[in-house]
Amino acid sequence: MGLEVKNIVAGYTREVPILNGVNLTAQDGRVTVILGPNGAGKSTLLKTIYGYLTPQEGEVLHDGKRIQDLKPNQMLGEGIAYLLQGHSVFPRMTVEENLELGGWIMRGDQKRMQTALDFVYARFPRLREKRSFLAGILSGGEQRMLEIARLTMTGPRTILLDEPSVGLMPSLVDEVYEEISKLKDERYTILMVDQNVRKSMSIADYVYALALGENRYEGPREEMEKKLDDIVREWI
Amino acid sequence: MDFSLLLDPYILTEVLVQGFVRGAMYALMAAGLSLIFGIMGVKNFGHGELFMLGAYAMFFVTVVLGWPWPVGIAVAAVALFIFGMLLERTLIDTLRRKAGRDWVLDAFILTIGILVVLQNLALILFGTSRRGVTSLIDGVLVWGPVIVSYERLMILGVASLVGLSLWAFIRFSSLGKAIRAASQNPEAAQTLGIDIRLIYTVTFGIGAALAGLAGGLLISIYPAHPTVGFEPVIKSLACVILGGLGNVPGAILAALLLGVIEAYSAFFMSAGWQNVITAGLVVLILIVRPSGLFSSSKVERA
Repeated sequence: MGLEVKNIVAGYTREVPILNGVNLTAQDGRVTVILGPNGAGKSTLLKTIYGYLTPQEGEVLHDGKRIQDLKPNQMLGEGIAYLLQGHSVFPRMTVEENLELGGWIMRGDQKRMQTALDFVYARFPRLREKRSFLAGILSGGEQRMLEIARLTMTGPRTILLDEPSVGLMPSLVDEVYEEISKLKDERYTILMVDQNVRKSMSIADYVYALALGENRYEGPREEMEKKLDDIVREWI
Repeated sequence: MDFSLLLDPYILTEVLVQGFVRGAMYALMAAGLSLIFGIMGVKNFGHGELFMLGAYAMFFVTVVLGWPWPVGIAVAAVALFIFGMLLERTLIDTLRRKAGRDWVLDAFILTIGILVVLQNLALILFGTSRRGVTSLIDGVLVWGPVIVSYERLMILGVASLVGLSLWAFIRFSSLGKAIRAASQNPEAAQTLGIDIRLIYTVTFGIGAALAGLAGGLLISIYPAHPTVGFEPVIKSLACVILGGLGNVPGAILAALLLGVIEAYSAFFMSAGWQNVITAGLVVLILIVRPSGLFSSSKVERA
C-alpha cells in the first residue's frame, strides 16, 4: 500500500501553487527518492504530505487512508515520521529527553517507552554513552544520528526524509546513508528528497524527478541511472 | 541617608523581608511573562490585568463569601488559568492563524487591547474604590531582635512553593518537557506529535494562573482596583528584560533582586525614587549586557 500522492496542487498562497498536480507512490518497504532542481517543489511536497500545507486539489493516502486533512501533529499517530531539513534536535535538552520526546505519543506507556529506548540505544551505542549530555553540544553527525534515532522511537511504518545529508561534512555523509540503508533493511517505507543525487540513487528502489512542480521522469533505479546525465543536464 | 541604620538587625530584616515580598510578587508575574514570551514570542502587556482579576477573585471569595484565604488563592489561580486559556484560544490563537508570519507584532497590539478592555470592564463593574483586606493572617513571629509578620511569611512560603512546583513541572512532567521542546523547536515538536496549539493555550493559562495567584496572594498589600496591575506588570517586564528574555529562572532571580533593591531604596530615599532606580537599572543592564543578566551567550529568538 505505502504512501500515495494523487494529483496534488498546493502552495503557500492560493494564487501561486508550487505543486501543479504531482503524482507519486512510495511503495511499502521501499526507498523512493525525489530528485529535482531548486524550486521544483520537493520540500513543498513533503510538507504537503505531512499536513503543514493543505492541498487545494488532490489526495494523499497512507495505507489506503486519506490523510490530507490531518494536522502535522497527528501524522506520527498515523505511522508517518518526518525528518526536517536542517537541525531539529532540542539543543537544551538531554539526548535521552530528546528520545523520550520522540515517544511523546506513547508517553502513558512506560514499558513501551523503555523498550523503545533500549532498542535505540542498542542500535546507537554512542547515544547511550551520551544520554545525559545536552543535545546541543553533540557534533553535527551525532545530532543527525539522534534525529534519525528519534524518528524510530514509536516504530512508524513510513519515514519522510528531507535532505538528510545537507550541511554535513563529507565524511559524515556516508554514515548517514549507511543509517538510511539500515532503515531500508528494516523494511521501513522511505520517501526521501535529496540534492545528493548519486548517494541517494545508490540506496533508491524507485526514483521520481520533479520539475516546476510537476512529474518529469520516473522509473526504477536501474532505468533512471541510465538517464541520469540527461536529467541533471536539464537542471543546468 | 543614614547608613548606620543598616546595622540595626530589626531594620535590616524588616527591609529585607519587605524586599522579598515585593520580589516574590514580581517573580510570580515575571515567571509567567517570561514563560509566555519564551514559548510563544508574545509580550503580554495585559498581564497586569490578570493580576487585577486575581485580586478581585480573592476579594470575592474571602470577603464577600467569607471563605478562608487558601480557598481564595486557589480560586484566583484556577479561575485565571481557565480565563487565560479562553483568552488565548479565542483571541491570540485566532490572530496567529489569520495574521500569518507577522502575528507576534500584532499580538503585542492585541495584548494592549486586552489591557484596555479589562481595565475598563473592571471600572464599570466594580468602580474605582479599593477592595482589599487588612490582613489574611494575624500575628507576628518574634525571634530575638527579628520581627516578621505571619502574613509575610505566608506570602513568601506560598510563592516559593509555587515557584518550585512550576520548576518541577517544566523539568520533569511530560507536558513540561513538551513545552520546553516547543520553545526550542516548534516545527520539530510537531513532527513528534506534540500539538503546538495546545501547548500555547496551556502555557498562556499557566502564565495567567501565576498572575492571578500573585494578585490574590498580595491582596493585603495591593487591594483590588482597576489599575492595580499597572505597577506589577511594568516592574515584572523589567525583570524579564533583566533576567534575559524567555529565561524563566533568570527572571525570577532578577525579580527577587529588584524587590530587595527597591525596598532598600524606598527606605533610604523617598519612595518615589524606587521607580527611577528600576528604570535606571534596566537602561544600565541593557547597555552593559544587552541579552540580560543571566542569559547564556546564545540569543535564539531575535
